[in-house]
Amino acid sequence: MTTVTVIGKARRVPLIDGIDKVTGRARYTADLDHAGALVGRIYRSQVSHGEIVRLDVSKARALDGVVAVVTSADCPHTYGVLPVAMNEYPLARERVRYRGEPIAAVAAIDTETAARAIGLIECEVRELPAYYTSAQARAPDAVQLHANKPGNLEREVHHEFGDVKAGFAAANLVREAQISCAEVNHAQIEPHACLADYDPLTERLTVQSVSQVGYYLHLMLARCLEMDTSRIRIIKPFIGGGFGARVEVLNFEIITALLARTATGKVLMKLSREENFLTHRARPQTDIKLKLGMRRDGRLTACECEVVQRGGAYAGYGIVTILYAGALLQGLYDIPAVKYDGYRVYANLPPCGAMRGHGGVDSRHAFECLLDRMARELGLDPFAVRRANLLEAPTRTLNDLMVNSYGLAECLDRVERASRWRERIGTLPAGKGLGMACSHYVSGAAKPIHWTGEPHAAVDVRLDFDGGVTALTGAADIGQGSSTMVAIAVAETLGIALDRVRVIAGDSAITPKDNGAYSSRITFMVGNAAIDAARNLKSILIAEAARKLEARVEDIECIAETFRVGTGGQASLPFIDVVKAALADRGPITVSGTFTCPPEAQGGKHRGGAVGSTMGFSYAAQVVEVSIDDATGSVKVDKVWVALDCGHAINPLAVEGQIEGSVWMGLGQALSEETHYVNGLPAHASMLEYRVPTTAESPPINVEIVESHDPNGPFGAKEASEGALAGFPPALVNAVANALGIDLDELPVTPDRILQALLERRRAKRIAALQEAAS
Amino acid sequence: MNGLLPDIRIVRPNDVAAAIAARQQHPQSSFIAGGTDLLVNMRHGLIAPQSLIDISRIDELTTIEMDGAGLRVGSGVTVAALARHPVIVGDYRAVSQAANAIAGPGHRAMGTVGGNLCLDTRCLFYNQSEWWRQANGYCLKRHGEICHVAPQGKRCHAAFTGDLAPAFLAFGAEAEIAGKQGRRRIPLGDIYVEDGLAHLAIAEDELIVAVRLPPTAAASAYAKVRLRGAIDYPLAGVAVALGVRGDSVASIRIALTGTNSRPFVLGGTDALIGHPISERSLQQIEQLVQKQVRPMRTTIASAHYRRLAAAALARRVTAALHAEQSD
Repeated sequence: MTTVTVIGKARRVPLIDGIDKVTGRARYTADLDHAGALVGRIYRSQVSHGEIVRLDVSKARALDGVVAVVTSADCPHTYGVLPVAMNEYPLARERVRYRGEPIAAVAAIDTETAARAIGLIECEVRELPAYYTSAQARAPDAVQLHANKPGNLEREVHHEFGDVKAGFAAANLVREAQISCAEVNHAQIEPHACLADYDPLTERLTVQSVSQVGYYLHLMLARCLEMDTSRIRIIKPFIGGGFGARVEVLNFEIITALLARTATGKVLMKLSREENFLTHRARPQTDIKLKLGMRRDGRLTACECEVVQRGGAYAGYGIVTILYAGALLQGLYDIPAVKYDGYRVYANLPPCGAMRGHGGVDSRHAFECLLDRMARELGLDPFAVRRANLLEAPTRTLNDLMVNSYGLAECLDRVERASRWRERIGTLPAGKGLGMACSHYVSGAAKPIHWTGEPHAAVDVRLDFDGGVTALTGAADIGQGSSTMVAIAVAETLGIALDRVRVIAGDSAITPKDNGAYSSRITFMVGNAAIDAARNLKSILIAEAARKLEARVEDIECIAETFRVGTGGQASLPFIDVVKAALADRGPITVSGTFTCPPEAQGGKHRGGAVGSTMGFSYAAQVVEVSIDDATGSVKVDKVWVALDCGHAINPLAVEGQIEGSVWMGLGQALSEETHYVNGLPAHASMLEYRVPTTAESPPINVEIVESHDPNGPFGAKEASEGALAGFPPALVNAVANALGIDLDELPVTPDRILQALLERRRAKRIAALQEAAS
Repeated sequence: MNGLLPDIRIVRPNDVAAAIAARQQHPQSSFIAGGTDLLVNMRHGLIAPQSLIDISRIDELTTIEMDGAGLRVGSGVTVAALARHPVIVGDYRAVSQAANAIAGPGHRAMGTVGGNLCLDTRCLFYNQSEWWRQANGYCLKRHGEICHVAPQGKRCHAAFTGDLAPAFLAFGAEAEIAGKQGRRRIPLGDIYVEDGLAHLAIAEDELIVAVRLPPTAAASAYAKVRLRGAIDYPLAGVAVALGVRGDSVASIRIALTGTNSRPFVLGGTDALIGHPISERSLQQIEQLVQKQVRPMRTTIASAHYRRLAAAALARRVTAALHAEQSD
């Protein structure tokens, strides 16, 4: 293992593309050169559910300035992120299943013409009953959205690990909670956009898009356009946020490519904010029934959980989401028995998908809330009840998840101390409260969705006459700083200055394939591949240096761009001299590095056992302090203390940013973010009505980094971008309970919900008083 | 749904008379100053003027002047300039607080007093894209036959959500209006009508040129509830101007926004004059508010919440002003 010298606590590295972004030099998809590009626009269903009886695009096609019109006739293929569940057409075929579903699209010489053409499209739909809640869709007489999915269930999951019955029998306290979490959306700042260029002479297609996973886009375009993959090139420009919105290939990306090919030219598609919300693919509305058994000392004996997710009209990522919701009940605490029943339901709404903390957030919320309520009933401190259930690494959970490093105990200590919990809990003035919760998340799914047998990550490193080291990676930097991580990993391994390394990311013509930015996999997998590649380059350079210095290979070190014999030896060579000698020998050098998760990391043998499996979990604990206005129901978050075990902070500055981002996104889900459909129409489809927190709501966040040094992580690192999210909503709800003595069962905790809860309590007290007086 | 702006002719008059004349010359026109409400509504296809008469460069509209009769605030003064004007900050605090509570800093730098007073009414069935409203069969306020908020009723329930109006109303402000007949001054409250479809009782070719605030000895404050501490329109907003003599109420005026199709002055508060502010009088205020506000399901937050929050704010702001003056 390389000695960590340039990385670590002392090195807070600004993102290598940070200056481009803050100066506006960075070019996002909509900023690209679209000279000569046609304007793409989508005709969308106004009906929630129905059969397409007639679709007439002839008038649109005949309009002057319209170059291409596409419908499902141009693409008879389904697409989707999961090979086993591709039941969606880029343009609706025969049936529409949600308001906003694309039916046709046009490419025209300008925006006005495109808009006019959309207005000329005629579509007749025979309406079918539409379902907007899980209960409606699951009703016995409900019409099926998909012929092969009775009961409108995409997937049922029934898992049982350990003896649940015995667990509950051994408990001193058994309690249940029914908790409901609203649907939320990523609301990434950059709206969706795609630029597709089809060259009819070479029959090649180049697509620049906002994708988090260019590789999936590549595969889906080949499938839907019936093109050979070798004729497609996917380039990732700068991306203004993903959060899971862009892991799945999105319909507008395929539509743009279809338009470009039909028009035999270049088409730019920019979606409005409303269309972003219609494209959706975010966290589903979720109902959770949770039952926990606990001994008097706080030790958990059993867990039984039912999760119902309203998944929207198509499968998307649904199977994975519903599996995650159960799998991630484990891996955080030691629970002797766990039963999980999950139901992924179809409804006539925009399809849900992956969103930061994928699948785990809502069930974690329920769990941490009920844990607190039971601790209170038993007179236990919230920290104590969590400490009573810690895992001991290394271990495997009941559902066969691998835990090699586990810093949760230290996370608890750190936030307890930083927030002065012990001194302050129970002593706060009226209307103020403290709450806490824990959470965790995978460092990459150990089994890729598109199983190919290839390594899970590959990085190339090039070295040429200029002495610059270029790392080539397919991993999408979507703002999380993954390219900076690659640069640090390469520089650190080679013992060279960071600014000697250039990273080129996300161009299928140049960079090796990567499984993309999802499930927080990049640092662990691509980081390890980058280290591997850099080591392979290093061994070439060391061999060269050994030859020139007439020393043994094992005695050569490269530190601070100087090759030396031994540590204190006099004989040394500058990096650039060794490079020249190596190039003279063999010409420009390109080496590859890879990383593969071993089979034992890839989850249990039970059905769906791969979901949740990972090389390592990040762990987080957080304390939230709130003030509540009991007249208006407003909740103000005064401060947050959060600790995250990321194994090792390769770049503490970026780690802090990612933790703050997770907390902040959890804050949005907890306080104000929710979708709201009116008969399937999104009433929330703007940044005004979909309420992400503003600066005014953003509290000071005290970040503590905990390093448990994972044995397999790159330099010991694990993920840092998602783990802290799921803890925020329960910590907030627990703080509200601490402040008001009211347990809320619904997210988000909006002022109207708080006021309603206060009124109900007042009413209950009044009734109790009346009954008392009467008796 | 991409919210196209059509080709628009811009007219830029130099004075008020020219602005009125231009408005008459171009029948399919709108006045524009900051455009923070207008442009969003144009992109949603809610209004489709062919010409915009840009009044942002008319000097007369952009000044705040003091005279013996109080303060004259030009309608083209930006919300940000209003919020920081020393006399507004000192003597008309509710106005300054209301101005600072509007939207975000960018909107306040662009938006104007007149624009906020003439803000279109809002409803979750109305402030949507053309695609959305068409899919929903449109509504009474635009192109449609029914009000989705109250389908049995005959009127539009879209809510007025300007923050400045209640603050001005609490001081008994007047509006100075220019039209082809010349100028007139009317109580500000008289320009509003309880009808979401046509909530402004000024002719299309009339222009509010100024708001006149009488001299005041009352202390005042404005508070609003909304989901976020910035950007959001008020779910309910309350301005109170309270004068105290000795221990008793000398004058009190409470005005509300966000709950009805117009901002309005709460009726029945005269009964509080001559009495100290007590728990009983605060309860009376709450009851008056609860009785007089008419929130409907025009926002994602419930109407019931807006009613309760309006009452709670009226109580709180009054109590705070009383406590402040009793110190």
